[in-house]
Amino acid sequence: MAAQDIAVEARDLTKTFRAGWFHGRRTEALRGASLEVPRGAIFGLLGPNGAGKTTLLSILATLLLPDSGSASILGHDVVREAFAIRRRLNMASGNASFVWSLRPAEVLTFYGRLYGLSGRRLAGRVSELIERFELGSHRKTEYNELSTGLKQRLALAKALLNDPEVLFLDEPTLGLDPDVSIRIRAHIAALRRERGTTIILTTHYMREAEQLCDTIAFIKSGRILAQGTADELKRQIRIGEVIVLRLDPPVVQGLAERNGVLALHTRGDRIECTVDAAEKRLPEILRWLHEQGVLVRDCQVTEPELEEVFVELAR
Amino acid sequence: MSSRAESLPLESLATEWVRLWAFAARNLIMARRNVFFVFELTFWPGVAMLSHGLLTRFLALTPEMTAFILVGTVALSSVQVCQLDVAYAVLFDIWSKSMKHQFLTPVRTRHLALGSWLVGVARGIIVFSLMAAIGTWAFGFNFIGGGPLPLALFLLGCFLTALVIGLLVCTLVLLFGTRAETSAWAAVNFIVMLSGIYYPISVLPGWVAAISAGIPLTYFLDAMREGYGFKSQFTHPFLTGFTLVGLYVVLAHWALSAAITRARRTGLLLKLSE
Repeated sequence: MAAQDIAVEARDLTKTFRAGWFHGRRTEALRGASLEVPRGAIFGLLGPNGAGKTTLLSILATLLLPDSGSASILGHDVVREAFAIRRRLNMASGNASFVWSLRPAEVLTFYGRLYGLSGRRLAGRVSELIERFELGSHRKTEYNELSTGLKQRLALAKALLNDPEVLFLDEPTLGLDPDVSIRIRAHIAALRRERGTTIILTTHYMREAEQLCDTIAFIKSGRILAQGTADELKRQIRIGEVIVLRLDPPVVQGLAERNGVLALHTRGDRIECTVDAAEKRLPEILRWLHEQGVLVRDCQVTEPELEEVFVELAR
Repeated sequence: MSSRAESLPLESLATEWVRLWAFAARNLIMARRNVFFVFELTFWPGVAMLSHGLLTRFLALTPEMTAFILVGTVALSSVQVCQLDVAYAVLFDIWSKSMKHQFLTPVRTRHLALGSWLVGVARGIIVFSLMAAIGTWAFGFNFIGGGPLPLALFLLGCFLTALVIGLLVCTLVLLFGTRAETSAWAAVNFIVMLSGIYYPISVLPGWVAAISAGIPLTYFLDAMREGYGFKSQFTHPFLTGFTLVGLYVVLAHWALSAAITRARRTGLLLKLSE
């Protein structure tokens, strides 16, 4: 990939937090994390709690300095050129918080000014975002009196103030009602579609990642363990596809020993046969069953969920 | 890995002003909307002026000695209110756990310091005016008795001292986290105590007086009191005071910038947002 096509690049980032007397307690949050995100992509960063997702995003967002390694956003180094990056980047977190006494428009106006917006341009941008995120009926409500969903929408609105080319979303739908989550996901998809924004998204919701992201990376213990599209990851992890069979007679000796069969489970009158690649193994198994004189009454192939990939990698 | 500061280009003056105004406007909104800001501005300064004025009556002090004490009272309240506004630039974000959003923007130390200081100066002038009114009405004390120029220089010196103290409070908070937030109220009292708030620094033990000689407020108090007939303890108190405070503003600005970089390294910036 040409350098100008890369929006976010990280190479061997490490970060250790030190705490306690004489910095005796050490927590290695990142241990050589690397990633590359093309411009205009939605990149999912998945991992269990404490895996290093927020640390990685914070380094890329210039809020945290790495111990070693390098990273750049839109060609600017995150350590040496932080201010150049901050003009073109923004971030929203699932647990975002703003000054409690400010109203939504005042929060947006404060941060808008920090991005250098003023006068009609600032007023127009604030109004547009208030309208877009349906905050208009809460204009007079102070931040600490907003519901969680409204706070989240305000956080997302704040993150769009500077029309960022790169946007980091740290668990943006955390703890939200399903209808609010659906609307926020629609906003995220629209951002990429309409503005070509490059987005890095961390989430615990596999369906959200599968639905939104072009590429997904799994991070655990400060390292990226696997990276690819949802389908590539499912194949890469080799957790297999499941062929569900209803047979007559219902039990077959020797099926578990066939080539490519990874596991066999019986659930009621159904046999779940996990194989490495259903496309290749299904004809072989059907042929073999026919040779064994077994009647196949029903047959379905189910793909593994991304959640299973996550569980497998998080183990 | 070192974090070499980027060059500090002044963007257009209009953009610089917009960023300063962001902090000023936020402080103004908070001051308008929260009752404890009204107390800071009226109740405590009013109580201080009345109680100290009554004390001078009880002790039957001469008008000159009354002026000596009340100049100190005004200095303490004006500096305290002004430095609190500077400290609020960081404290508001700490209390609301929103610190990281501020440092995610292309804002620089000078914007948060000067923007909030502007409101501090305005509030300091209100405090001074209120105290001057109470002092004149209740105790017949003339605050411009030393002349308008010395008074203006004295107030400017107090507000610049407040800027330095406010920046140091912000620095302490970004070094030690919420444990250091009480310094916003403690630091100013400690510094004015050393500056000879209600007494000449000649009454202090030698080594304490040596520390006092390094505090700009010592010189501004001395210069102001000279206008009420007290012999100055220094040759050019205003010049020395402004030289010192200018140096300290630069050093305090640098210290806060260094503390922000350290907070980015240790992760405190993120911790203060959780």
